[in-house]
Amino acid sequence: MIGLDGLEPSIVDPMLARGDLPNLARLSGDAGAARVATTAPAQTPVAWSSFATGVNPGGHGVFDFLRRDPKSYRIDSGLNHYEQKSALLPPKAVNQRKGETIWDRLSAAGVPSTVLRCPCTYPPDRLRGSLLAGMGVPDLRGGFGTSSYYTAEPDASPREAENVVALADDGRSPIDTYLLGPRNPKARDGLRFDIQLARAAEPGVLTIRSAGEPRELHVREGEWSGWLKVKFKIGPLQATHGIVRFLLIRRDPTIVLYASPVNFDPASPLFPISSPPDFAKKLADDVGRFHTAGFVEDHNGLINERISEEQFLAQCDDAWRERRAMMERELARLDSGLFYCLFDTPDRVQHMLWRSREPEHPANRGRDSNPALAAAIEDQYRRGDEVVGQVLDHVDDRTLLIVLSDHGFSSFQRQFHLNSWLHREGLLALKDGLSPGHGAGEFLQGIDWDRTQAYAMGLGGLFLNLQGREGRGIVRPGDAGALRRAIADRLSGARDDERGRVAVRSARPRDEVYSGPYVEEAPDVVVDYAPGHRVSWSSSMGGVADGPLHEDNVKKWSGDHCIDPSAAPGVLFMNRPFRRDGARLLDLAPTILNALGVEKGPQMEGSPLR
Amino acid sequence: MKILVIGLEGAAPEIVFQDERLTTLRSLMDVGCYGLLEGVIPPSPVPSWMCLATGQDPGLLGVYGLRNRADRSYTNLASVDSRTIQAPAMWDRVAEANGRSILIGVPPGYPPRPIEGLSVGCPLTPGNDLGPYTHPPELAARIEAIVGPYPTDVADYRTADRAALRDRILDMSRKQFETLRRLMAEETWDYAQFVEVGLDRIQHAYWRHLDPDDPRHEPDGPHADVVRDYYLQLDGEIAKTLELAGDDAIVLIASVHGARRCEGGFAINEWLAREGFLKLKSRPEHVATVARLDVDWPAATAWAEGGYSARVYLNVKGREPEGMIDPADYEAARDDLKARLEAVAGPDGEPLGVRAIKPEDAYREARGVAPDLIVDFGAMALRAIGGVGYPSPFLGADEVGPDDCNPAPDGVFILASSQLPAFGEIEGVRVLDVAPTLLELAGLPPLPDAVGRNFLEGREPTDPAAGPTDLDDDELLRDRLRGLGYIG
Repeated sequence: MIGLDGLEPSIVDPMLARGDLPNLARLSGDAGAARVATTAPAQTPVAWSSFATGVNPGGHGVFDFLRRDPKSYRIDSGLNHYEQKSALLPPKAVNQRKGETIWDRLSAAGVPSTVLRCPCTYPPDRLRGSLLAGMGVPDLRGGFGTSSYYTAEPDASPREAENVVALADDGRSPIDTYLLGPRNPKARDGLRFDIQLARAAEPGVLTIRSAGEPRELHVREGEWSGWLKVKFKIGPLQATHGIVRFLLIRRDPTIVLYASPVNFDPASPLFPISSPPDFAKKLADDVGRFHTAGFVEDHNGLINERISEEQFLAQCDDAWRERRAMMERELARLDSGLFYCLFDTPDRVQHMLWRSREPEHPANRGRDSNPALAAAIEDQYRRGDEVVGQVLDHVDDRTLLIVLSDHGFSSFQRQFHLNSWLHREGLLALKDGLSPGHGAGEFLQGIDWDRTQAYAMGLGGLFLNLQGREGRGIVRPGDAGALRRAIADRLSGARDDERGRVAVRSARPRDEVYSGPYVEEAPDVVVDYAPGHRVSWSSSMGGVADGPLHEDNVKKWSGDHCIDPSAAPGVLFMNRPFRRDGARLLDLAPTILNALGVEKGPQMEGSPLR
Repeated sequence: MKILVIGLEGAAPEIVFQDERLTTLRSLMDVGCYGLLEGVIPPSPVPSWMCLATGQDPGLLGVYGLRNRADRSYTNLASVDSRTIQAPAMWDRVAEANGRSILIGVPPGYPPRPIEGLSVGCPLTPGNDLGPYTHPPELAARIEAIVGPYPTDVADYRTADRAALRDRILDMSRKQFETLRRLMAEETWDYAQFVEVGLDRIQHAYWRHLDPDDPRHEPDGPHADVVRDYYLQLDGEIAKTLELAGDDAIVLIASVHGARRCEGGFAINEWLAREGFLKLKSRPEHVATVARLDVDWPAATAWAEGGYSARVYLNVKGREPEGMIDPADYEAARDDLKARLEAVAGPDGEPLGVRAIKPEDAYREARGVAPDLIVDFGAMALRAIGGVGYPSPFLGADEVGPDDCNPAPDGVFILASSQLPAFGEIEGVRVLDVAPTLLELAGLPPLPDAVGRNFLEGREPTDPAAGPTDLDDDELLRDRLRGLGYIG
């Protein structure tokens, strides 16, 4: 099972026809790429969780990248959260994904699995076999990925997900500075690892000296360095290791340096990231250190415009290389059972470079166009095809090969301020003295709960402020059903008049979409955007914007797929005939179990694709 | 305020305080206090765990080991059981305050202590079918419904078949922890004490694979990590157990002695015989214990009982049945024996490091039939062997049985509570200080005749401002979410 995250059918088909994807073509023949229906919402952690468990999100509990705790309205990661079960021990991560996975069933039947980088497998599932956790693994800072920007410029301020470290640079002398590590659990500042920056004799080269490994790391202007292994003391008696890379943006006259998020060291992660716990170390011993964080590709560096598209793509090259190396190591050992490996990179590259396909994309305004980038996305697809070729070398007539993308891709040109819509509809109220815009804050903090019936956060939909569920709910349970229906009806078909087209294709009450033990955590109304549109940056973070309800998206994050799932199917290839019509992600688990002679779980909603 | 005591029999300071993988223990050390726990003399499980629970030293308890002289006759040794020691313990103070206790495996734990609460027998339990091993008796069926047959110990841990033994020990440990957690979850309790004996059994069987100085050590052998991995297993079990302790519990992790490799034995009676203290009418043909020796008691000055430490007894007129030493000469005779013991040198001519202690120097009072000297050899590098008939008093490691490990004089303690600040490492803490400290922290009255004191008294916390992690911190959450390109 090879995952190529976000491969879009409308890009795959012409490339197949042109002979640009020869290995995939061996699988699909003349028929072109089969479509596979994705989840609502069409998001990576949601889709792969439904793949893994064979149930809709109501059955596994992962609905979005973000979730809120209804009692406190606090917004947190939708992939995992921390629980402190004992006042004496630090909090531990708990996987948001519940349910029984394919590898749970296989393990119970004595069949081994190797699972590389499946989203929502952190903390790592126990299984018969080996598993390396994927999306959901935090960086050492505890989040999705916080980078550092070092500069002597006096007025540099931090951009998203980034720390700025001021340098005292006279243009010649070595500079003592530090790397920021985990939060100090006792104080509130971050723990530090000392580094010294020194200009090497060779022009354009900076040497980073430290007590880490290597003691001297060299980085060349415009390029990424190798890994530096660092150590942070997280308590009087506890230390943790991390690995980090640098990009030297500029050396002279003063240094401008960028540091990636500090990843867990696979050889000694702060918390286990693999099953068995030493599997990550064994991989690293053989294939070298690799990115362990859930998000590998440095989209933030590019969004913040600290790194260029070329530098972003160079780092993506490293991501492909690492993933192929660990895949190859495990494929060489594969004897029987399930092998799964996900390649995330095509998804991230499409998010960042989609605007290169559309000259009129708002994100291109005021930015130099770089024709070289136009080919970047198709280059990613070709690399995916090469991986399939590499895999085919290990496939014999007793091997079922599946190649799958979890969703497709679309343009993200227009953003919809869902919270502002709710505000205008009188369903959401702001605290006295606050108006929509920056003043309303984010993270739902500007909202007056006593006068709010519905609110939005995340990428999937909106929530009722429900009595008994929300901490300060006002909607009576008896009225909830009718209110969901009413909001859905009003929202459905919302038009972006400036663009002259529908922005919200449909809005559906949750019971029309989800079933299962975790439905209570789902948005009350699921919102399906038309291609080209998506919920706004502001509303996704619980803000209430001012101005028009529909606005251009001008960020470099210019492609997305959090739209009507029926408009963002993935692609599916197999090395044997299968029913191509109506294939769903939910069918993959039964297909895999069936191929390995194991009965599918009674709760699994799909059927084997034959 | 609850008290949870988890005893890890034989937990060695060199591992507990050094192995960075033991993150649960290190978290407790970070928020609480820790250090060596000075054992009683002798530091064996009986009476050490009762010394810990009562605050009284072995002399006050009148118990100097698992088997003690029942009377002044020469060879009538009686084994201690739970009825032997009647001194009030921490669970009695808890009961007086209308609280309940859970005791699992606290030696001596058979017959099961009829406490206010629940108790489960310790390794001295003779075999579950020989009588109830729980109080109340119905508790046994409830436990067996959870874990199946309940192991109070592993059979045959001095065996040579170590791979199977390790699996039995791991199985026992899991079952015992599972039982503890179920009872903690399902019962009201104010004091819970569990003594995990599996660690001691693992160390006895596998210490040679851990200690590179052991001549039988195989570097990089298949069992090299068994002992350390067992500590890691315990660390995980403790984490799960802490989740059930409640937010304000006082938690103590402790061992009453450490562990060290066994370098051999010293056949003390053999030495006493050769030195003229233990007069024999005839030398035995094979190695024989004192009970089976042909001792010329009227001519004998001293004999000993073996163990990790030796208990040496003087044969005193008017005290022993066929006493030889005049009471007026007792002190001089004892001093002479002590001096000669402490001067003993090994076959290489180097002093063995013998320490002979007078009970009045070790205990507040020496009740019962106390030994006249308690002797250990090289800080328990050598066991005291009781038999006579060896070619030499010095026995190699391979001559004292397949058991690799002796106790070391100091165990460990880690104390933590959300009600207490962090104190860091504390020196000079003794087993005898535990009860006074825990009772004072819990606001319970002290125990009578307690020898120790509250070891936190007068100490300054290392960081009074430090508090536990605040999960509800907005900034913390913000940090978690930043970096997600979809929303930033």
